[in-house]
Amino acid sequence: MHDIQQLISAALDGKRAALARLLSVIEGADQNLLAIESQLTPPVGEAFVIGITGPPGAGKSTLINRLVPHALESFGQAAVLAIDPSSPFSQGALLGDRVRMQGGEFGERVFIRSMASRGEEGGLARATSTAVRLFDACKWPVVIIETLGIGQVELDIMNLADTVLVVLNPGWGDEIQANKAGLTEAGDVFAINKADKPGAAQTRKDLLDSVSLISSKSMPDIMETVATTDKGVLELWQAITAHHARLISSGELVERRHNRQRGLIRRIISDQINRLMDDALNTEEVAMLLEKSTVGEVDIHKALHRVLALMNR
Amino acid sequence: MNTKDSPGVIRSSSGIELKNYYTAEDIPESHRHRVHSAPGDAPYHRGWHPTGYRSKPWRIFQLSGFGKPEDENERIKFLLKNGETGFIMEHDRNTADHCYNVDHPEVVARREDVGLTGAVMQSVRDIAICLDGLPVDTSFGHAGGAVVQHAPFALAGYWTVAKKRGYDLSKIAGTGQSDFNLTYLGCVTKQQIPTDAGLRFNTDIIEFCGEHLPRWVPVSIAGYNAADTGLSPDQELGTLFANAVEYLDEIKRRGNVPLEQAAKGCAGVSFRASIHIFEEAAKLRAARLMWSDLLRSRYNITDPKTANLRIHCVTAGSKMTYQQPLNNIVRGTLMALTAAMGGVQSLGVSGYDEALSIPSEHAHQMSLRIQQVIQEETNFCAVTDPLGGSYYVETLTAQLAEKAWEFFEEIQQQGGYLASLDSGWLHAKAAENQHSEFMALESGEQHIVGVTCAREDESPFEVDGFMGTDDAFDVATERLQETLRTRHEAGACAAMKNLEAVCRSETNIMPVMLDALEAEVTLGEIGDIYRDVFGDWNTPIQT
Amino acid sequence: MDHSQKRILMAKTGLDGHWRGPTIVARALRDAGFEVIMIGMANTDDIVRAAVDEDVDLVGLNIGGHINVALRAVNSVREARPDVPIFAGGTVPPHAKKQLEALDVEVFPPGSQLVDIVAAADRLTGRSAD
Repeated sequence: MHDIQQLISAALDGKRAALARLLSVIEGADQNLLAIESQLTPPVGEAFVIGITGPPGAGKSTLINRLVPHALESFGQAAVLAIDPSSPFSQGALLGDRVRMQGGEFGERVFIRSMASRGEEGGLARATSTAVRLFDACKWPVVIIETLGIGQVELDIMNLADTVLVVLNPGWGDEIQANKAGLTEAGDVFAINKADKPGAAQTRKDLLDSVSLISSKSMPDIMETVATTDKGVLELWQAITAHHARLISSGELVERRHNRQRGLIRRIISDQINRLMDDALNTEEVAMLLEKSTVGEVDIHKALHRVLALMNR
Repeated sequence: MNTKDSPGVIRSSSGIELKNYYTAEDIPESHRHRVHSAPGDAPYHRGWHPTGYRSKPWRIFQLSGFGKPEDENERIKFLLKNGETGFIMEHDRNTADHCYNVDHPEVVARREDVGLTGAVMQSVRDIAICLDGLPVDTSFGHAGGAVVQHAPFALAGYWTVAKKRGYDLSKIAGTGQSDFNLTYLGCVTKQQIPTDAGLRFNTDIIEFCGEHLPRWVPVSIAGYNAADTGLSPDQELGTLFANAVEYLDEIKRRGNVPLEQAAKGCAGVSFRASIHIFEEAAKLRAARLMWSDLLRSRYNITDPKTANLRIHCVTAGSKMTYQQPLNNIVRGTLMALTAAMGGVQSLGVSGYDEALSIPSEHAHQMSLRIQQVIQEETNFCAVTDPLGGSYYVETLTAQLAEKAWEFFEEIQQQGGYLASLDSGWLHAKAAENQHSEFMALESGEQHIVGVTCAREDESPFEVDGFMGTDDAFDVATERLQETLRTRHEAGACAAMKNLEAVCRSETNIMPVMLDALEAEVTLGEIGDIYRDVFGDWNTPIQT
Repeated sequence: MDHSQKRILMAKTGLDGHWRGPTIVARALRDAGFEVIMIGMANTDDIVRAAVDEDVDLVGLNIGGHINVALRAVNSVREARPDVPIFAGGTVPPHAKKQLEALDVEVFPPGSQLVDIVAAADRLTGRSAD
């Protein structure tokens, strides 16, 4: 793990290529992920983490492209993590979010990274949370995460972001109920993008109805934007930062981050357990036991206990 | 085409199963009576004119342009001298398609590309140089403006030069293109006004021409660009008419001009002539049939002058190969003949070096010669609709029209043509076809001579890409500065202000665009106004 | 430091938006198990920025237009990521092909087979030994 240590110190030193390589390393294998996580403790936790989710085609990438200049004005630098789905058949992926957010004119001040979901459900990739912590540790003051957006409920972002922006379009009321509920629950701020198309008012109403069903939820800001012309984007950015400010003043940010740490530890442990379990299951001894148990020669419990014993070793 | 087919099944590129031979019984019932109609009779599948090419052979019409406006001027004169019978101006695509001046950072970053595909024309001064000595009054001119957001500038520039030379706009004939299929489907630019703004531009142009330039073809819907992106012939047809109804419905909704006049403006279209010769010829026949059907059933228009579709054809650029490029002369000839058989008013043949670069002078010359040989030596023009009555071609004509209407309906179910562009639905259809076309080549099911088979080449002729001139960017930069320095600044500013106000209103854009060109407002300044007012189209594809 | 999933950057150097070729290639690479990062029409700075930040294993350039524009991109990528191989496709006339090959860029002109392009990606990213 000598290389990783070197990379980490280079990345912490502001070396961009080292950070980029580390992001590949954490995507590559779980043990790398753990090794890096352990080196990043205690967590820095300075970065403002914004999650952006919503149905496919809602205009998330285009909106991010419009939000970045505001983020730069407020924070000086911005990192973007854009998640796209991996093909379940080939494990390959087409990662195309960058087409809409090149931002070449921002030069070194923006770091965009495309990530394939690599089989992960829930809207993020396996390495996303560690990636956020890496950016944080490397002093990137704001990290914007664009979730998969393949239509299913993607709630993992709630556990990772300080502020979750849900992007919708006019006509959203036609969405199926489960998707609606999930998105409504996830959102701290809502943007009705493409608001110049008919149906924006109805969507606002649907959204309000949907939010009012969640008793624990205070009424979020619902903003209207036309990302293609930049209309309403400044106001949206103000709503996002206002939410962040409220999180800080109310102490909720600390609470959210505690939850996030808890989730992280939970995740690390369960990953470890899973790996130990797979290792045990893959031993010849267990394989033999399983084979025998299928034909009734040994009790399945014996195999089970053996796996547990191997995991405890 | 379809892997589920049992062995021996052969399909056309539209997926129509082809028989070993055809008889009269194969012609669909609904089409049989039409076989006996004559050219010039509704529904016009047999041709637009009773005496066809006898009265007037098709116009030889080649896309041309590169370098500085004077380089393009010289090439057009070369083509006219060698027998071209109309001319096409092409504007540098880097600047024109994006409405950028040459000093835009994205252009500067690619400065050597400037002038490689079309001449750089940033103000009316440049357009005047390009048109110097060209027969604007007597010839059929193509002003450029292929991409939707560029068209108002290109048209207004051409017309301003014509006016300055003392010509009456109501008498000049020509076209622009302003094609949605190119802009939003086939060749998606880095920046473009959204489709609804594009629709507004095109209907503005149609209305303006209807009123002031009756001999001008205001927009030319190009099935070509749909087809060369991957859509099959039936889809090319369906897409083209779905596009046309988008314009006509909008004209009808606005109610500013008579619908019939607008329909006439939409009746000049372009198609691709590809390599499946009979299907492609049948496609052109089906197109005329469909247009007259559409106008009658949807808009109750039957006037022959309007219901008679005028077709420009271009041979399929994507069928031209990089390997053994001289083989492309044969392909160009076959596709040209196909277009002629299907019946066209004008034709452009892709250069044999198409897969390598823009056409060299020699490639251009060959594109002319191919057409001249057919027109002058083969006695081809003697007989109108030579395929008429062929059991096979008549059957294909009817089948294609039917399949095309099905695709037209599918597009309507997507919410119409614009919606199917915005959502990327049409792009997905094209990509699907591209993919299966490629797979058929990879599996050896299909062959391309010189590429997947017959690969030995003993040609002593080395064909290399034509690279144009190398001073286009520098000269354009100087001229831009010169224009900005020497124009009447107050006038230009006022014109820009007016243009912006009109862009924000619902007033027709063309009168203020003519003022802007007259006041020497530059292309990039106009683009900046567009970007500010209309924003950027949300491209549904990722490359 | 095993990260076996290979990442390929695909960019168009020109401002010409024909997307047929690059789309077919990107799909084929995805189907062969690569993660393909597409950045569309990109200038040299965009390409270099993405090649570094995305930590790609291979850069693919779709070239149309003047060879100098492509050469500038190639040279800048070489400078920023000397370790990363480059391949190219598109309308590349013979003289341009030679210039690129002299810089160790593998070139796939129109008519190239997808299997050959995928095989090159395998080889250049070290997924296969041949």
